Amino acid sequence: MKVKVRSNVAASIEAVRGELAGTKLSTSTMNLVVWLDDPERRSWVLQRADLLGEKHPSFTLILDRTGTTPGATVTTADRSDDVHLSVQGEHVLVDVVGLSPAQIAEYVTTLCPRGVPTELWWSSSTSSARPVFDALLPHIDAIVVDSSGALPDARTLLDLAHFHAANPSLALRDLAWLRLRPWQEMIAHFFDDPNLLGELYALRSLTIASGSDAEAFYLGGWLASRLGWLARGRDAFADREGKEIAFKRERTGEIRRVRSVELASGTSAYHGEVTDDPQVVRVWVSGEHARDARLFTLQAIDNASLLEVAILQRGTDELFATALSNAATLLGDEPA
Amino acid sequence: MTTQATAPRDGAAANPLRAGLAVDRITDPCNIVFFGASGDLMKRMLLPAMWNLRLEDILPASFGIIGFSRSKFSDEEFREDMRKAVDEFSRSGPTKEPLWGDFASHISYVTGAFDDLGAFKRLKKQLDENDHKLGTSANRIFYLSTPPSVFAQIVEQLDAAGLGQRANTKGWTRILIEKPFGTDIDSARALQTEVEKVFDEKQVYRIDHYLGKEPVQDIIALRFANVIFEPIWNRRYIDAIQITAAETVGVEARGGYYDNAGALRDMIQNHVMNLMALVAMEPPISSKAEAIRDEKFKALAAVRPIEPNRAFLDAARGQYDAGAIAGKPVPAYRDEPDVRPDSNTETYAALKLWIDNWRWADVPFYLRSGKRLAHKNSEIAIRFKSIPHRLFGELGDSIDNNVLVMKIQPEEGISLRFSAKVPGPKMHIRSVSMDFNYGTGFGVVSAPAYERLIGDAMRGDATLFTRWDAVETAWNVVMPVLDRWTETIDETFPNYSAGSQGPPSAERLLIADGREWRKI
Repeated sequence: MKVKVRSNVAASIEAVRGELAGTKLSTSTMNLVVWLDDPERRSWVLQRADLLGEKHPSFTLILDRTGTTPGATVTTADRSDDVHLSVQGEHVLVDVVGLSPAQIAEYVTTLCPRGVPTELWWSSSTSSARPVFDALLPHIDAIVVDSSGALPDARTLLDLAHFHAANPSLALRDLAWLRLRPWQEMIAHFFDDPNLLGELYALRSLTIASGSDAEAFYLGGWLASRLGWLARGRDAFADREGKEIAFKRERTGEIRRVRSVELASGTSAYHGEVTDDPQVVRVWVSGEHARDARLFTLQAIDNASLLEVAILQRGTDELFATALSNAATLLGDEPA
Repeated sequence: MTTQATAPRDGAAANPLRAGLAVDRITDPCNIVFFGASGDLMKRMLLPAMWNLRLEDILPASFGIIGFSRSKFSDEEFREDMRKAVDEFSRSGPTKEPLWGDFASHISYVTGAFDDLGAFKRLKKQLDENDHKLGTSANRIFYLSTPPSVFAQIVEQLDAAGLGQRANTKGWTRILIEKPFGTDIDSARALQTEVEKVFDEKQVYRIDHYLGKEPVQDIIALRFANVIFEPIWNRRYIDAIQITAAETVGVEARGGYYDNAGALRDMIQNHVMNLMALVAMEPPISSKAEAIRDEKFKALAAVRPIEPNRAFLDAARGQYDAGAIAGKPVPAYRDEPDVRPDSNTETYAALKLWIDNWRWADVPFYLRSGKRLAHKNSEIAIRFKSIPHRLFGELGDSIDNNVLVMKIQPEEGISLRFSAKVPGPKMHIRSVSMDFNYGTGFGVVSAPAYERLIGDAMRGDATLFTRWDAVETAWNVVMPVLDRWTETIDETFPNYSAGSQGPPSAERLLIADGREWRKI
């Protein structure tokens, strides 16, 4: 069912509520609130929000400031008995062009069902939307952002670190961080062999090639937090004994994607490099602990899956928090 | 003797980069040997499961797969045969390069009979080669996907070839044994005697693939991750529990095996009683394997065995006649290939059991399983007691008992039936259903049980495998009925039509208690 509603805010909310009252949602896992203000990314974001809605019975509220669709659109899933396995969820898209932050927040407080967590996917990359973000914040249980790909993304990462430091109890998820999970798995894989564990503490360089900066800083921040490294400017760490670990970054390939990682100790180097298939990484060890190349599959790197991981997580993510904090230390106070 | 690893080994656990990452990816380097590798189970389930574990990076970097069976294959021929099987049966679709080539390079094959010590020595040589070439660190899993009649023989030959745990001083050894574990209490004990000569109990993983199904694991989550169910999970609020494992299929190509087994051995003694144990057990002290298995054992140990003189009062059996499934005619059991024309084997079994403890006293557990029934349907239905006093409802309204149904297959989910007011000026009451379905609730397709179970065995997590004391206790429960059924020819066979709800004797089992079975 799809209904167009064109009216003022109060009438629009009432009309939307009227439509929703006729539905019969039987299982609901969350309210997903999506902020949209970039016309170029609009269809990309909507598609991923739809995919998520198809998998998780939820109330999805799209706050659309792109000016593409005036009024409000209410969509409900087909609940006929013969479609037993259809996903049950409601989807409301509201045009919020010209509305004040308080009016926009009113949509969230009035329409989102109580008793289930409310997640905000903040897809904006502009600072002008910040007042809306601040107005929504009191009504949100968790926030999903993507610090990667924005220009400059190092600045975004630094802002995110400051925001997190000011709101430590708020569940914050960054798709840029979650996207790195398979790479973390891959790096960890090298050192599951007890014979190579000592190598972790003898690393002397870390080299990361990626299409944007956030990935490199997050991976560096993560390794630093796990191994007790301290940042020495943007291009080096010091290990627990004060020995230097060079940190090299190369911008290459698609944004939001890592292309290769190399960790080198005094005697061996641990390599991972994307193959022609972007979901498969070739991994090998050269030097004293040489190992033949093998293939490693990257799991769940599409954004819809990442978004799902982000909303399924509960509470604060300590690993993320320390990696973000380390990345910020690495970046210092001076944005690029 | 090497200490058996039951958790991720120290090296992996000590890797500081593992903190916060998926622990299910930490598996020791190992070889897995599949006995019966040319069989149907290997092609349909086991190798596709290994392939998917590889795709999900759950297999360790250093792993080896060795097929062992009588059929003659070279390594290359076996790999090609397995590739076809994966292409046809894997949930992840056809194989693709270069991943398959990388995976296949870890597969090898040994031709041999299960009584041929020479073949087992060749297997040992292959394992040693893999340790050297693939870095599999002398860790070994032997998976017995063979007919049960050769389980003991394989264990014996493994020992003779120096492949038992006690001969492995460098790594760990585990053995996975498919069900059924024995054909009765005596044969189960005899098999156990052979197994324990070579392996410690902690190394033995008895597979009941039902336990690998997501909804079965969800029984524990439903009970112990919610506060609302456990307080009413007892004799004070529960009227009766029905556990059903109904199939529409017949014996397929397994007539020879099934005619010597029957529904009681094939389904009730293992699958259904395992479900019963999960429903009835007390809260375990932790989620660790032994804590859960301890409680399952205690629940089974409290089941009152059916007295021989009640074998026809508290149990019912049936055998299917010709009929129709989904409109398609199907033959009678006795007309199936490799089935004796005068067979006395039951294709349907139902039991009424009691658990003698404080929680379950006087609550009947009705268990049933059968082939060629109206629908495929496995579920656990908890029927609560009637309300103590009726306040609502117009004349003619009935207020049904609340029922909580845990759906295992083909649907996977949970359904709660409760009473609600019908909209309108009068206080009409009607039962409504609140459903949770895995397909729509989480939007994921559950991984096949074998993937979960093989992955768990590689990690040394025995939670979803059946311990010997539980197997023995389950046999003790069913043996009096089995003995009486074996010695008594059922003159009414065949006594239910294919495509029906089962035999009338099963209906009578509940009618006598003033209850009825849920429709299959």
